[in-house]
Amino acid sequence: MQVRQPTNKGARRSAREYVVCRQEDLPPGRMVIAPVGKFGVGVYNVHGILYAINNYCPHMGGPLCSGNVYGTNLWDDVRGRAEHVLDGRIARCPWHAWEIDVATGVSVADARKRTRTYDVRVENGEVVLTR
Amino acid sequence: MSGLLIDAAVQPFCRDGREIYDYMDEVNRDRGFPDVESQWYQAPGGDYDESLYGKGYPGSDPEIASRHLFEDDGVDVAILNPRTRGNLPDFQLNTAVCSASNRWLAHRWLDEGNPHGRFRGTIRVNPEDVPGSVAEIERWGDHPLMVQVGVPLQSRDLYGRPRFYPIWAAAAEAGLPICISTNGGAGLEYPPTPTGHARTYSQYIAFMAYNYVYHLLNILTEPLFKEVPGAVFVFSDGGAEQLTPFIWKLDTLWLGVRDQTPWVDRPPSEYLKDHVRLGFSRLDKPPGDSVPIVDWLAQTGKEDVVMYASNYPFWWRNHPDDLYEGTTKEQTEKVRWRNAGEVYRGVTAEAA
Amino acid sequence: MSTIEVSGSDRTRTKEVDVRWVDADVHPLPHPGDGFLGYAPDGWRDRLAPRGHEISGVSARILDQPEANKAPTGKVDSYSPRGGPACSDPQFAAQQLLVETGMDIGILLPMGRDHRNPDYEHALKTTVNNWLADIWLDQHNQHRRWRGSISVTNREPELAAREIERWAGHPMMVQVLMSPQRPAYAFGDPKLDPIYEAAARHRLPVATHLMANLPYENSIKPVGVGGHFSDYISAWGLILASHLMSLVFDGAFDRHPTLKVVFVEGGFLWVLPLMWRMDAIWEARRSELPWVKRRPSEYVRDQVYFTTQPLDDVDTREEIAFTRWLDMAANLIFATDYPHWTYDDPKWALRRLPKELHPRIQHENATELYGLPQTVPALPGA
Repeated sequence: MQVRQPTNKGARRSAREYVVCRQEDLPPGRMVIAPVGKFGVGVYNVHGILYAINNYCPHMGGPLCSGNVYGTNLWDDVRGRAEHVLDGRIARCPWHAWEIDVATGVSVADARKRTRTYDVRVENGEVVLTR
Repeated sequence: MSGLLIDAAVQPFCRDGREIYDYMDEVNRDRGFPDVESQWYQAPGGDYDESLYGKGYPGSDPEIASRHLFEDDGVDVAILNPRTRGNLPDFQLNTAVCSASNRWLAHRWLDEGNPHGRFRGTIRVNPEDVPGSVAEIERWGDHPLMVQVGVPLQSRDLYGRPRFYPIWAAAAEAGLPICISTNGGAGLEYPPTPTGHARTYSQYIAFMAYNYVYHLLNILTEPLFKEVPGAVFVFSDGGAEQLTPFIWKLDTLWLGVRDQTPWVDRPPSEYLKDHVRLGFSRLDKPPGDSVPIVDWLAQTGKEDVVMYASNYPFWWRNHPDDLYEGTTKEQTEKVRWRNAGEVYRGVTAEAA
Repeated sequence: MSTIEVSGSDRTRTKEVDVRWVDADVHPLPHPGDGFLGYAPDGWRDRLAPRGHEISGVSARILDQPEANKAPTGKVDSYSPRGGPACSDPQFAAQQLLVETGMDIGILLPMGRDHRNPDYEHALKTTVNNWLADIWLDQHNQHRRWRGSISVTNREPELAAREIERWAGHPMMVQVLMSPQRPAYAFGDPKLDPIYEAAARHRLPVATHLMANLPYENSIKPVGVGGHFSDYISAWGLILASHLMSLVFDGAFDRHPTLKVVFVEGGFLWVLPLMWRMDAIWEARRSELPWVKRRPSEYVRDQVYFTTQPLDDVDTREEIAFTRWLDMAANLIFATDYPHWTYDDPKWALRRLPKELHPRIQHENATELYGLPQTVPALPGA
């Protein structure tokens, strides 16, 4: 299935760097897909920290970043109960709901499953992605 | 051949329907309740191995059973698991029947009938009566020859549910696995297949082997092993041939809905070796050489959970030679005694 | 989004393409704009009042799929900009499934129209058939890529047989579809013979598929009902296993030797050990089963089909090894389950199926079973 990419005003800056958008266009809680690589790269602002992952689910190749973003539930052995954690950091693939931590690209269920991460930073008010 | 042989499923019977009354407590001695035999789906021609019909009830004489199991089949230790009545509507009566079964087994089979010391027993409890079950486990938990707790497969709710945890905790505390096995159709129960009552005995008996899957998948999905880390479940009726297809389904779905059951913090199949055992009989494996048995046993770790189970004295009774053709020496040892030795206390030491 | 309409006047000039993929499990739902109740049989329109959850907008399913709060009817990316539930817009579905995913033909299996009252259930199935035939098989089928299922209630077999007769001549209806849930009868029960007679008479396979997990449809299982989506659905195949045992042991395949049964989305690996056990039981108890003249596994291999989705997310080599042991080249049919979240992507699925079976699974078995064409009109943008 084709990836439907949201338009953004990004631009290639050099062979290795890509300007995704202005910093103010990626406020906390938002995600922008940069047309980088074969599938695009999802750039997330999670409570002020930027992360970038390949828009490609390590499961079946679904458009990972076009799904919803959540936290997740993990069992806390000390408290002996489930806790809701990592709020805003978990991308769920729109195909099979696999949970991927956008900070690490790693699947919550199975750490052997991961998608590629990218370096992303703010420079002169612009969000810059390194391929 | 390959060391010890532990038989994980032998069913002892009373000599007749009256014998259990000798062991009922005074409060309940005058009550009426069905025999384990009162089942609707009885096999045409009889439930038991033809050769075992004769003077007494099949499987009701410790001496005859000893000869068949220990002399003829070379079994070293046999784990006896009497049937109780499933879910009698009167829970206190059902608990009393379970208590009587335990007194009867301890007296007739583990003491009088056990000069060779090779019989082990099952503490039968009524899961509809949680405090009664816990008390029964505490009463018998120290008996050196009681090696497991037994409950009916035909439950009203799946055994991963929290209301059963006090029973499982008492069993784990006593170092006993919990055996889930078919009881006679003597109590209240749902139809035995998800498509209703079977029209044929063949469908009934074929499908009953698969009902353990419902319990197993639920046990691996609820917070049971967080609440009772030491719990071990034995499905002694078998059905191992369906373990791989259904555990694969659970592992797969878990990847997508893991957040609904965060206490399951690794793939469900990884719990099998530490927490689950299955009785293993000739009906639970590929026929002949249709499938490479070594690979098949290794798949999803079946070789780490299956235990030889004769199902004496039923018509599908197994003999040890039915099981090992083509398996590796290590697999054979696991089936014969290693897997059982890991969950049943004292069975390997005493038999050696 | 490009239009996938092939206009009537263009049809003769449209290029034909070979059928390489048949998807045997696609789930259309009525769009709010379809006027679904208008398809009800006489006297039923006002009685088929909306159920509570249809007004509340909240799913009535009691075992929730992931993200059920946001996407109750399909995978998150399968909702059309036209609104409505997932796969309620035939144009959008055709774009996603036929054009972008590359399915050449999709077999439509409407779900979720079981009811407590058998008469009501029959009226609902009739309504579904009228709606499906009009919206999906006629109005939006210029490309001739959609095929339909005749939904029937197996709780009123005579009414079901009449419904089959009503649609049997429709060129786009290719199978009968009945619910495996809350069965009045297991599938081998002679009381269902009218359905099988009608289906076999018209060479229509009889398919079955989970209908929904609304409270009523979650029948009590033999030892209790699963507590979570994962254990409930993992055990789902056992219902089909029991129906299959009944079909064999109750003699249905003997009574209907040309009947074909399709088990959709219920797994297929369990079939191998099921055949071992049925064969062993039959060997031991043949004298009680004089009507079961052949070895049970022979009936299964001759008369039963299984769709491949959902394949398991396990070690690929192990999965392929098991499928090779199954040795059912003629019985497996590919399916995506579009638009549901347990969707199997075709490229991913092929990696998990033995290579030598690909042509049979992708299209050969389905085109033979359903009498499908070898070519279909090309789609713009495909």
